[in-house]
Amino acid sequence: MLQHIIQLLPQVLVDGITLGFVYAVVAIGYTMVYGILELINFAHGDIFMTGAFIGSGFLFLFISLGLMSSLPALLVFLIVIILSAMITGGMGVAIERVAYRPLRKRNAPKLIALITSIGISFILEDLVRFIAEWKTGNYIVTAPSLFNHTFTIDIHSIMPFFNNAKFQSSFIVVLVVTIIMLIGLDLFVNKTKWGMAMRAVAQDRETASLMTINVNRVISVTFFVGSALGGATGVLFMLQYGTIDPYIGFILGIKAFTAAVLGGIGNIRGAMFGGLMLGLIEMFAAANLSTLTGGLFGSEYKDVFAFIILILVLIFKPEGLFGKATIEKV
Amino acid sequence: MVKEWFHKFSQSSRAQLFFIITYVLVTCLGLYLLEDSASAIFPFLLVLLSLLILYYMKINVKLKWAIGFIIIAVMIPLSASQGSNFQAFMDVGTLVLIYVAMSLGLNIVVGFAGLLDLGFIAFFAVGAYTYGIFGSKQANHFMPFGHYPLPGDTFWIFIFVGAIIAAIFGILLGIPVLRVRGDYLAIVTLGFGEIIRIVFNNMDHPINITNGSMGISQIQPPRIFGYPIDTPSEFYYVALFIFILVIYVVKHLENSKLGRSWKAVRDNEIAAQAMGIPLVKTKLAAFAIGASFSGMMGTVFAAKQMFVDATSFTYLESTMILVMVILGGMGSVPGVILGAAVVIILNNQVLTDLSNWMTSLSTAGILNVPDALSPSKMQRFIFGILLVVFALYRTQGLIPHKNKKVDAERLKREAAAEPPYGNSEAKTNLEGSDS
Amino acid sequence: MNVLEVKNLTKQFGGLTATNDITMTVEKNSITAVIGPNGAGKTTFFNMITAVYKPTSGDILLNGHSLVGLKPHEVSKFGITRTFQNIRLFNEQTVIDNVLIGMHQHLKAHWVGTLLRLPSIRLEEEKAKVQAYKILKYVGLEDYVNENAGNLAYGAQRRLEIARAIAARPKVLLLDEPAAGMNPKETKKLTDLIHDMRTRLDVTIVLIEHDMKLVMEISDYIYVLDHGELIAQGKPDEIRNNQRVIEAYLGKVAAEND
Repeated sequence: MLQHIIQLLPQVLVDGITLGFVYAVVAIGYTMVYGILELINFAHGDIFMTGAFIGSGFLFLFISLGLMSSLPALLVFLIVIILSAMITGGMGVAIERVAYRPLRKRNAPKLIALITSIGISFILEDLVRFIAEWKTGNYIVTAPSLFNHTFTIDIHSIMPFFNNAKFQSSFIVVLVVTIIMLIGLDLFVNKTKWGMAMRAVAQDRETASLMTINVNRVISVTFFVGSALGGATGVLFMLQYGTIDPYIGFILGIKAFTAAVLGGIGNIRGAMFGGLMLGLIEMFAAANLSTLTGGLFGSEYKDVFAFIILILVLIFKPEGLFGKATIEKV
Repeated sequence: MVKEWFHKFSQSSRAQLFFIITYVLVTCLGLYLLEDSASAIFPFLLVLLSLLILYYMKINVKLKWAIGFIIIAVMIPLSASQGSNFQAFMDVGTLVLIYVAMSLGLNIVVGFAGLLDLGFIAFFAVGAYTYGIFGSKQANHFMPFGHYPLPGDTFWIFIFVGAIIAAIFGILLGIPVLRVRGDYLAIVTLGFGEIIRIVFNNMDHPINITNGSMGISQIQPPRIFGYPIDTPSEFYYVALFIFILVIYVVKHLENSKLGRSWKAVRDNEIAAQAMGIPLVKTKLAAFAIGASFSGMMGTVFAAKQMFVDATSFTYLESTMILVMVILGGMGSVPGVILGAAVVIILNNQVLTDLSNWMTSLSTAGILNVPDALSPSKMQRFIFGILLVVFALYRTQGLIPHKNKKVDAERLKREAAAEPPYGNSEAKTNLEGSDS
Repeated sequence: MNVLEVKNLTKQFGGLTATNDITMTVEKNSITAVIGPNGAGKTTFFNMITAVYKPTSGDILLNGHSLVGLKPHEVSKFGITRTFQNIRLFNEQTVIDNVLIGMHQHLKAHWVGTLLRLPSIRLEEEKAKVQAYKILKYVGLEDYVNENAGNLAYGAQRRLEIARAIAARPKVLLLDEPAAGMNPKETKKLTDLIHDMRTRLDVTIVLIEHDMKLVMEISDYIYVLDHGELIAQGKPDEIRNNQRVIEAYLGKVAAEND
C-alpha cells in the first residue's frame, strides 16, 4: 500500500502544486478583504469564476478575429489575462461601492453585509450563466486551449520507486504566473505607499483615517487588487482545466477561504501557504483515499476533507497557523 | 374624506369583520367558478391575500386566528376542489406550508439568535432520509432485524423521530461550531450542509444506507386508520397540522425566558453572558429547535414525493429559505410566513407560468426570448436581487418585527399595591413564585 | 468582612502587561473605587473579575470561593454583575425586556414548561414583570417601559444598565464609569442612586470612575492604578494628598494639554 502511495507521489505533487497555487491566489482575495473589513466576501469565488469566463470570451473573440494564428500564444495569453484582471478588478470595486459601502456608512450589523455578499454571488452566477448560455447554447463552456503540449518527468529511470509524472505546458504557465503575482503582491503590500496604507487600515481604521489616509480609497484599492488577482487566477484555471461552468466559484471559493483561515485570516503570506497546503492535501486525498481506507471511501469525499480541515482549524487554532490571536475589546 | 372614512373603518371591528368575510366569500367564489380556466391563479392569489389583510385588521386576536384557520383549512381547499387544477393548487399549498415551517425554524436561528446558518437544508434532508430509509425497502440493506418498509401508520411517529434526529444533528453540528467566532459560523454551516449532501449522495458503500445517487424510491404513503394519504390535498392537511404545531411553539417561545435569551445573545454576546446567560447552551437550543422544524417537514416531504435523493438538498435550497426570512423580516413571525409564501408561489407558480407564457409567445413568433432567459431558470438571479435589495434598503423586511409591549398601566397598578423596590422583598418576591 | 479578595492578579497580552500583581480586598457592603489615568488597566481588572479575560496569574475570591476558570455566565450566577464602560444594552429589545434578561438566572422557566403553559411559569413571568417595573421605577425609567433600549438618551441608557445589573440581585455590583458623559445634574442623581443602592439592596459596590468629585464623595476606600500597577490605596482623604497619585494624574493632565 505504501509502495502504491509513493509511486503516485510525483503526480500528486504536480497536481497538488497546480491546484494549491490557484487556491493561494484566491485565498489572498478573501484574506485581504477580511483583514480590512472583517467581512467574508462570498462573492469573491464568483469573481474568480467570472474571470475564467471573461478570459475564455476573449480567447473566442481572438479566434473569431483570426488573431490566434498571427500572434504567439504567450502574447495572446498575456493580453487576455491582463484584460480579464482589469475587468474583474473593476467589478470588485463596483461591487464594494454598490453593495458594501452603504452598509458600512450606516454601521449595519455584520450579518447584513454577509447576506449582501451572498446575494451578489448569486447575481454574478446567474448573469454569467445567462450570457454563456445565450452565446454558446450551454452554460458549461469548453475553453480553447493555448498550452497543451504534454511533458513527462522521467523520474522513474532515476528513482525506480516513483512513477513518472505528466503535466501540460499550461502547468508551467500557471506556476510562473501565480508566483509572479504572489511576489508582486507581497512587494506591493510591504513596500509601496498603498500597501502601507492598507496595512494601517487593517490594523486600526479610525486611527488610519486620522492619519490622513483616505480609508474608502484604500478599501477600493484592496478590492481592486484582490478581485484582479482572483480574475487572473480564473483565467489560469480555465487554461489548466479546460472546462468551466458558472458554479465553479462556489466550491473553490469555500476551499480558498479554508486556505485563508488555515494560514491565519488577514495574513497574506499565511494565505499563500494555506492554499498550497490545501491543494496538496486535496490531491493526496483524491489519489490515495481509496487505497488508504481499503476501498471504503473514494475520491468523492475529497471535498469533504477541505470542510473538515476548516472546522478543525476553527475549533483548535482559530487564529490559523500563522495568525495572532485577537482579543475583543470590552 | 376618504381618510376619515378609513379611520372610522379601522375603529369599527364589526365593519372590518364584515369586510373580511365578504372578501373571502367573493374571492373564494371567484376561485370556485374560474377553477378550470388558465387564469385560476388570480383568484387563488386573492384568496391568499385575505390572510395578509386579516393580519392588518384591528380585531380581537383570537378571532383573527380563528378566521385565519377557517380560510386555510376550509375555504381554500373547498373552493379549489371543483376543478382540474385542484391537486396542483393543493400541491403548492403544501409546499408553502412546508417552507413556512422551515423558514420559521431558520428564523429562530438567524432572526432570534442572530446566527447565520447557510446549511439549514441539511436538517430537512435528515428528516427526509429518516422516513425515506425506514418507510421503504432501503432499511433491509443494513438493519439486522425487522422487516421493511414499515407500514404507513408509523409515519406519524416518524414526524417526531425526524424532528428528534434533526435536532440531534443540530446539536452535533453546534457543539464544535458554536465555539467559533460569529462570522465564521456562516461558512462552517455552509460546509456542513455540503458535507451532509455529499455523504448522503455516497453512502451506498461500504454499507448501503442511503442508496447513494440512485436515491430511495417507493416510499410508503402515510396511513391513518387504514386509509392511505397519497394526494396533495391530503398531504396539505398533514403539513397544516405540523404548521400549527410550529406556530404554537414559535409564538410561545418568542417571548419566554428562552426567547429573550436568544435575542440577548444576538444583540450583545458579552452583556448576555454577564447577565448569566450561557452562550453555547442558548445557541444550541436555537439550532436544535430550528432544526427540528426542518426535520419534521422533511418526513412530510419524503412521504409526499415518495422518493428522496441528495439533489433536493443543495446550497440553493438553503439560500432560498434564507431569502424567505430576509424578505419577510428577520425575527418577525408574520413577516417570515409572508416571505416564505411569496417565494414559494413566485418560484413554483408565477415563474413557471411566466416561462410557459413566454415560450408560447416564442412559438407563436410574436416575441423571441432566448431560452437562457426563461424566468424559471432565473431563480438565483431573483434570489440574489432580493437579498441585496432587502439587505441594503429594507433590512427589516416586508413586515418588520415589533417587540411585544407590556401593559404598563396594569404593571403600574400592581406595583403600587406592593412595597417599593428594595432588599427585603427583592429576596422574597421572586422566590415566592414557585410556591 | 471581606466579600471580594483579589490576590496578585496579573494579565499579560502577548508581551504587554495590562495589570501587574494587583492585590486588593473589598469589604462587604462598602463602596470601593478603582481610579487611575486612561490605560491604567482598570477595565482589564473588571474583565478578569467577570471572566471575560482569564488572568495570567493570581486569584480572585468571592466569599472565599475562587472565580478563576469560571465562564462569564457562571460568575454572574455566583453573584457578580456589572455595567459596561461603552454601554452594552440589548438595543433591539424593550426597556423592560432588558431588565427581565437581567433576571434570567432567577427565573425557573424551562422551555418544555413554557410550551406546556404551566401555570407556575405564567405566574412567575407575571411576577417578574411587576418586579422589573418596580426596578425601572426605582432608577427612574418607568415612563419608558415599552421603548426600545437603543432609543433611550445616553444618561437613561446608563441607568438602564444599572437597572439590568441589579435585577440579577448581585452580591457585588461592578460599575464601569457610570457617570461618563453625564451632566452635573445627572451625576448628582447617580450619586444618590449609588448611595441608596448600597443600603436598600444590601450590595457591595466597586466602581471605576474618572469624576473625582463623585469618587471622593461616595467611596469608602480607593485603589489607584497606573500603568497596570497598584500605586496607592486608602480612604478618600489619604488618596487626595498622596504624592504618587497626584503625579500620575498631573502627568496625565499635562499630556492632555499638549
